[in-house]
Amino acid sequence: MSRSTRKLLLPGGIVLALVTVLLLAPLLPLHDVRAMDIPNRFAGPSAAHWLGQDEFGRDVLARLIWGGRASLFIAVGSALAAATIGTLLGLLGGYFRGVVEVLTVRAAEVLLCLPPLLLALLVVTILGAGTWPLILALTLLYTPNYARVAYAATLQVRGLDYVTAQRAMGAPPLTILGRTILPNVLPPLLVQMSLVVASAMVIESGLSFLGLGVVPPTPSWGLMIRAARGAMEQAPMLLVWPSLALAGTILTFNLLCDRLQTALDPREVTKGGALWMRRPGRRKTAAARRPGAADDNGPLVEIRNLAISVGRTPQIDLVRRAMLTVMPGETVALVGESGSGKTLTSLALLGLLPDQLRVSAGEMRYRTRDGAVLDLAQLDEEAFRALRGPEVSMVFQDAAAALNPVHRVGDQLAEALRAGGLTGERAVQARVVELLRHVGIPDPERRRRAYPHELSGGQRQRAMIALAVANSPRLLVADEPTTALDPTIQAQILDLFRKLKTDTPDMGLIFVTHDLAVVSELADRVVVMYAGEVVETGPVAEVFARPKHPYTAALIASVPEGAADQLRAIPGSVPPPHDMPPGCRFAPRCDHALPQCTSRVPETSHPEASRSSRCIRWKEVC
Amino acid sequence: MFDMGAKPAPLVEARGLARNFPGRQGLLGRVRDVWAVRDVTLALAPGETVGVVGESGCGKSTLGRMMMGLDRPTEGSVSFDGRDLAALSAAERRKLSRRMQMVFQDPFGSLDPRRSIGAQITDGLRIHRLVPPGEIEAELFRLLDQVGLPRSAASRRPHAFSGGQRQRIAVARALSTRPDFIVADEPVSALDVSIQAQVVNLLMDLRRDLDLAMLFISHDLHVVRHLCTRIVVMYLGRVVEEGPAERVFATPAHPYTRALLTATPSLKPRPTGGAPRILPGELPSPANPPSGCPFRTRCPLAEAACAEAVPAARRIEPGWQAACIKAAPEAVA
Repeated sequence: MSRSTRKLLLPGGIVLALVTVLLLAPLLPLHDVRAMDIPNRFAGPSAAHWLGQDEFGRDVLARLIWGGRASLFIAVGSALAAATIGTLLGLLGGYFRGVVEVLTVRAAEVLLCLPPLLLALLVVTILGAGTWPLILALTLLYTPNYARVAYAATLQVRGLDYVTAQRAMGAPPLTILGRTILPNVLPPLLVQMSLVVASAMVIESGLSFLGLGVVPPTPSWGLMIRAARGAMEQAPMLLVWPSLALAGTILTFNLLCDRLQTALDPREVTKGGALWMRRPGRRKTAAARRPGAADDNGPLVEIRNLAISVGRTPQIDLVRRAMLTVMPGETVALVGESGSGKTLTSLALLGLLPDQLRVSAGEMRYRTRDGAVLDLAQLDEEAFRALRGPEVSMVFQDAAAALNPVHRVGDQLAEALRAGGLTGERAVQARVVELLRHVGIPDPERRRRAYPHELSGGQRQRAMIALAVANSPRLLVADEPTTALDPTIQAQILDLFRKLKTDTPDMGLIFVTHDLAVVSELADRVVVMYAGEVVETGPVAEVFARPKHPYTAALIASVPEGAADQLRAIPGSVPPPHDMPPGCRFAPRCDHALPQCTSRVPETSHPEASRSSRCIRWKEVC
Repeated sequence: MFDMGAKPAPLVEARGLARNFPGRQGLLGRVRDVWAVRDVTLALAPGETVGVVGESGCGKSTLGRMMMGLDRPTEGSVSFDGRDLAALSAAERRKLSRRMQMVFQDPFGSLDPRRSIGAQITDGLRIHRLVPPGEIEAELFRLLDQVGLPRSAASRRPHAFSGGQRQRIAVARALSTRPDFIVADEPVSALDVSIQAQVVNLLMDLRRDLDLAMLFISHDLHVVRHLCTRIVVMYLGRVVEEGPAERVFATPAHPYTRALLTATPSLKPRPTGGAPRILPGELPSPANPPSGCPFRTRCPLAEAACAEAVPAARRIEPGWQAACIKAAPEAVA
């Protein structure tokens, strides 16, 4: 049972108990609700009358339960009627639009112009007091709400591909509405339902209180409150019981409504809280720092046996034994399919892993500008913050989401520059223009005043890159920076990366991508990942010409670029992280697999000094 | 406008197709015409696979929807098997939909999350009463076999499947009505490379086995080249080049096609003759297209004459034409 379903138990249980008691009222050994006992009027609680007796000596508990029956019947009845009619109107209006929309949703909305209590009063005045006129009044009142909710949900769903697919299939409109759209708009309607039941109870009680609802001597909570108000000074408890019942029921329904909303909306809410409120990790900056190594030719970054995990018991490794080395000035492509762990590995380098994940093993040695060697796996958030910008920086795939939409592009750049220690407004603005020009944004003096949404996709990506290189980082991590772009724009951005490489010859670049062709255009070395493991590394040209791991070979053969009639598809799909095969993770999909592949995790082999392959049969692959 | 050469009678034919999505800029702005597709004429013969390529915003998806009859053209007409789609009644149109089906780009959005995939695949069989009720299950299994899914898949809901499997389910659904014509709108773009190959292979097998006419919309030139017999290149709502895939890819006649080919990254290292020619600028807004040739603002060959009139299609060879006054086949480095 999921957490959100468990949370439904409490309000659901109370509502169930309530409804059961009310339904079983005729079978319970209750006093007659009309049996008067004048001598004992206003008597307090006793063994025979648990909650005491009212102004006519009638049993309060019995009246409370029978009154609840009336209130709930009216509330649920009108909510159901309003739900049925409103949903129908909303579905029709939302699906057909045009004239139908005017006749259904818009017509229902006219009712919203009238004050609710006034509308109810009007109906009751015309039809007279009583249960059925009340239900009619409340139904009228709540129908527009449902119509609007159903209408909004229908508008959202009708444009989705699976509805278009039904249309393309030739399904008649009513079939589409009933079979495809209705089930998909139901969740918000259910939530609306519990909300309306609660609110209808309030109005029903209000009207009964005014003497326009249920007719005495039939008990109802509103009537009971009305009667108790007159006797407030003699017996204040008489007012408390129906009020408690009313408030308790409404709160329960509201709680149920809230919890239903969470249960029906499966999007996981991330753990909130500011960074400083989170549990401090074991990370210590001091321990991470080591005196600078003497040799200047050492790698910029060296990742060894990195593991990234989720959960503690059981701990699931999303990435394990990852190896990666970047020399200064080198471009390393991190290639893999979705679920290979390539993005997680790159995020770990900047300390940007999502909250639920953590680095559970291994080290990430990074050589700073002053020659010191830091283990990024040991850093805390504060130390990472000092590092991001001047040392490591990132370009994200979706520039539209990564840039702040309410600030001008130039201001965002200026902020990054000031954070990097640049002072003097004139110097900052000059550098902003220079950076924008550097990344190829035309007319930078004017464009720096643009908001992100005013730039095209390619321009936004350029602005994003300008932001990333603003403080001249020594290591730039680019996560699928061209994936969302069109071919001609992608070519422009790739060219910009080439230019950055020549202009800043010492900057290391980690280019994360799934596109092998992009790798061959840009990278010096390639690191191929599969299911959270590094399977092959080496210089791009050599790896592509003579792959030494069956996965790399299959990946290259599946790109439709050769003259082969049939593409080589890799059977099956990437295994989910909680269900990894034992031994070599690629073995179940591999056409070179031997029995020992599934029994033992393969060691890393080095076919040449500059290459590695995690396959026991690397000699036979090509 | 376009010369079809000596071909069998077309199954689907679009004539002078155009679609306008008028939009208003600001609250009080004037309503402006935004033409997503302009003046497209295209015909597909039975069994033919035509690839439509172009960058986002070039109108290729709108074209696909109009060819399917899902979107009404502002101008021009689409006819299927000689019958004009606009002239059909809603019921006739629904009946005809048995013969034309669609595969969508997003395998996560194109399946109803709340129904079993068996029910979704057999919808078409029930709607068009293609098989007696007793044989629906057998037909469902046949379809699942055809797209390479286990029979146990039928009772599960879409969330139990990976992207590639879902796309095969979508293909099975499209095939259920035994269509003659399929519009595939970027069917492999959302998939990983290795999975993409599975679906491309499946589509190739189906085309061969079922003699389907297919309009394959994609921005991936490699996939189009692999799969299609004929290619249509679109730019800003207009067809700029159309011809046999192999000929067009080897020696494109339109400068935009050449630029698109050059821009597409390749596994094979390019001959190092300087940086590849990279197209400057970006796609103009369809709300404010340039005068004359839509491509002239980015074209390396543009001259004054290009701004004057929309260039007519020039015939390069039978069945191959390009809308450029300087159109000439030229190999891409």
